[in-house]
Amino acid sequence: MHIDKFEDAIMNCRFCFMCRHLSAVGNVRFTEVDTPRIRAAMIYGLRTGTNSFDDEDFVEALYRQDLSACCRHHCVNHFDENGLALAVRADVVEAGKAPDAVKKLAAKFEKSVGWKADGKGDVAWFLDETTASDKSAVAAAKKLFAAAKVSPKVITGGSVGKALKVLGYIAEAKSAAEKFAAFLEAEGVKTLVVSNPAALNALKQDYPEFGVKLPCEVKSMAGFALQSKVKFTKAAGEVYALADDFIRNYQGCACMDKLLDALKAVRKPFGTNDEETYCCGEGAVVLDRLHPEIVKALAEYVAARADDPKKDRIVVGSVYTKRALVKYGKLNVITVEELAASCL
Amino acid sequence: MKIKPESYMFEMIRTELTDAIGDENVDVKFADKFGHSIDYYWIPEMWHDRGKECPKADFVVHPGTTEEVAKIMKIATQYKIPVVPWGGGSGSQGGALPIYGGIVLDTKRMNKFYGVDRESYTVRCQTGIIARHLEWNCNKEGFSTMHLPASISCATIGGFLAHRGTGVLSTKYGKIEDMVMSLEVVTPSGEIIRTLPVPRHASGPDLTMLFLGSEGTLGVITEVTLKVHPQPEAREFRAYIFKDFHTAMQAGATLMRSRLGPCAMRLYDETETKTHVSKVFGIDLDKGAYLVFGFDGRKDIVASQMKYAREIMEKQFKGKDLGAKGGEWWWENKYKFFYPGYMFHVPQAFGTLDTVADFAHIERVYWAMKNVVNKEFPDARFIGHFSHWYEWGCMLYARFIFPGDKVPPNEREAAALYNAVWDKAIRAAIANGGVINEHHGVGLKLGRYVKDLYGSAMPVLEGIKKQLDPNCIMNPGKLGFAGC
Repeated sequence: MHIDKFEDAIMNCRFCFMCRHLSAVGNVRFTEVDTPRIRAAMIYGLRTGTNSFDDEDFVEALYRQDLSACCRHHCVNHFDENGLALAVRADVVEAGKAPDAVKKLAAKFEKSVGWKADGKGDVAWFLDETTASDKSAVAAAKKLFAAAKVSPKVITGGSVGKALKVLGYIAEAKSAAEKFAAFLEAEGVKTLVVSNPAALNALKQDYPEFGVKLPCEVKSMAGFALQSKVKFTKAAGEVYALADDFIRNYQGCACMDKLLDALKAVRKPFGTNDEETYCCGEGAVVLDRLHPEIVKALAEYVAARADDPKKDRIVVGSVYTKRALVKYGKLNVITVEELAASCL
Repeated sequence: MKIKPESYMFEMIRTELTDAIGDENVDVKFADKFGHSIDYYWIPEMWHDRGKECPKADFVVHPGTTEEVAKIMKIATQYKIPVVPWGGGSGSQGGALPIYGGIVLDTKRMNKFYGVDRESYTVRCQTGIIARHLEWNCNKEGFSTMHLPASISCATIGGFLAHRGTGVLSTKYGKIEDMVMSLEVVTPSGEIIRTLPVPRHASGPDLTMLFLGSEGTLGVITEVTLKVHPQPEAREFRAYIFKDFHTAMQAGATLMRSRLGPCAMRLYDETETKTHVSKVFGIDLDKGAYLVFGFDGRKDIVASQMKYAREIMEKQFKGKDLGAKGGEWWWENKYKFFYPGYMFHVPQAFGTLDTVADFAHIERVYWAMKNVVNKEFPDARFIGHFSHWYEWGCMLYARFIFPGDKVPPNEREAAALYNAVWDKAIRAAIANGGVINEHHGVGLKLGRYVKDLYGSAMPVLEGIKKQLDPNCIMNPGKLGFAGC
């Protein structure tokens, strides 16, 4: 089983409480089952027969996780409870026990695999569906490209495999990855700029795990803006910065921080602490489609911790989080790329 | 009363509960009930490890207000259903286990923080708030509860109140019962009561103290007002290695008798210094006993306190100075001791023989427990540290550990072995002037010793229970009280 690769997490997390306070979904549902401890204990129960994938409640709980990886990040041992969660989903799928909603969503993503390129040159911008849904974020990206005097080839289309992997459809995710790599090869892309941190994480971490080699260098939009030495003429002023799950807890990427420095942003501490992820389920990629009520609760939890929800200027790392915080949290949110574009 | 899920009564009670607090706040699914069937007690962990099902509740409810708790209690009283309050579920004594089924009342939805009173330096909150979240909220306002236990990340404030928990700064700021101003409690019959608003008065017996440590057997504590403190200007630590634990104990006791008022002190015996302290700090402390202490407050006063404390450690007791850094190691790593890899873990069998005694008895208690464990259970290892110090004595955090291959494969035999260690060690402690226990509580694990401990006062305790909870629905079978 896929879970066998995460023996440390199963055996150690099942009786450990040390990250309970960071369990984002646990904190809004007030449940034990939505914590790394009980998930690991239930997964261990698969071996002893006290739990099984026939239990729909158990499987449902496995698909409620925020996958922010905050608990892994702050664990002194960094036990990979996040990897365990993804692995058990893969086992659920292989056992044919995925919930109907998950099956439908996966089928939709599988069908969406396919892209088209518009423009010339070997620098491309992957305009994913999430980013494309936000006109302001798209305009900001275009402004940053223009400031860098780069006219990228724009790639649009469907899943590059991240959502499929997160849902537990590993073979399908790998197939999407192979197709995307072949597409980039055929298009002669040498540099790929990615706006969506989830897609960036797929390309940077999932693809090597799948053994899929990309023909190009991959950069985040923030990284591109920094490296292309775009001139920012205005200072960003005071902001509350919330890094996205992938940058903060998956990749340890400092691009957002460095870009905020370049923008002379004065960062105010958000909430009560810098341990919690203040996530809205971005790491789970499609949580907003599977469990909008949980995303709503997560966004409200974040909003309740803002100093002044109406006035605070909150900068986030992804359109996903922006969308959730604006829709459910009624907060004043922009992406870091939008902030950068406003400083040109 | 165990209710069959397929029964008519089950649906009737579920309907009443959902009517009282909302359908979304009443869980009857297996996964949710499973989540409330294992706490930090070794027996359910071992049971789970071996594929045995632990007893589960019939309903898990998540009230958000005191009034909702009261409604639940009235329903439970009507049908005489057990109610087990559950905070973070991180207790080590089995106190939150629903051993008779019924209702697990998870308090975590009651997590409101009402802010710091800047005139009185107090904070009011609902008791389901996780201690770490409360502390963060206080920190944001420039204050601290100074209640910083190892379980701060998972336990709720209500959990600490229920079993008289403590934190690493207890030596200066006290245990949770020293921090409480007043409580709001829902009684087993569903009445909402408030204790007097201040903890120092001469208006009869103190009801606040009656409910503190009652472990959910007398009612549900729903709200609390706690003292808070401004963050100190300075907090400094220093550590020493002494040639043996006896010398270190004398040094520690002398520091306490000096009334210099440290905020924290820890003394690890030779074995724990060598095996645990070294591992957590990543340094080699091969010989002797490690003692660390600290002071906090105004910088100039802390410097002065530290100067006199150093004289005690160095001149009177010839401790080897590990410097401020040696003390900082402990402060920075104080929670690391409790992470997997540093903490004991199933399939090992292990337990904390938490005992408290005055300085006149504490070493005798230590040796009595150590000798009995070593003699009667040669497969077990005994280690100990002294972790909460007061003017009059301290707490012995003694632990026994059986390697996994020395624990019987049959779970009943394993449990019998485990209980036998407690029987021998705890009775040895009580016979030598020890009190069980200082901050872990009684729960299910130690209930059988409560009669020994209370002696002729036990009927008084039982009388209070009977008066408040005549139907015996509140957390039955815990704290030495009768089961269902």
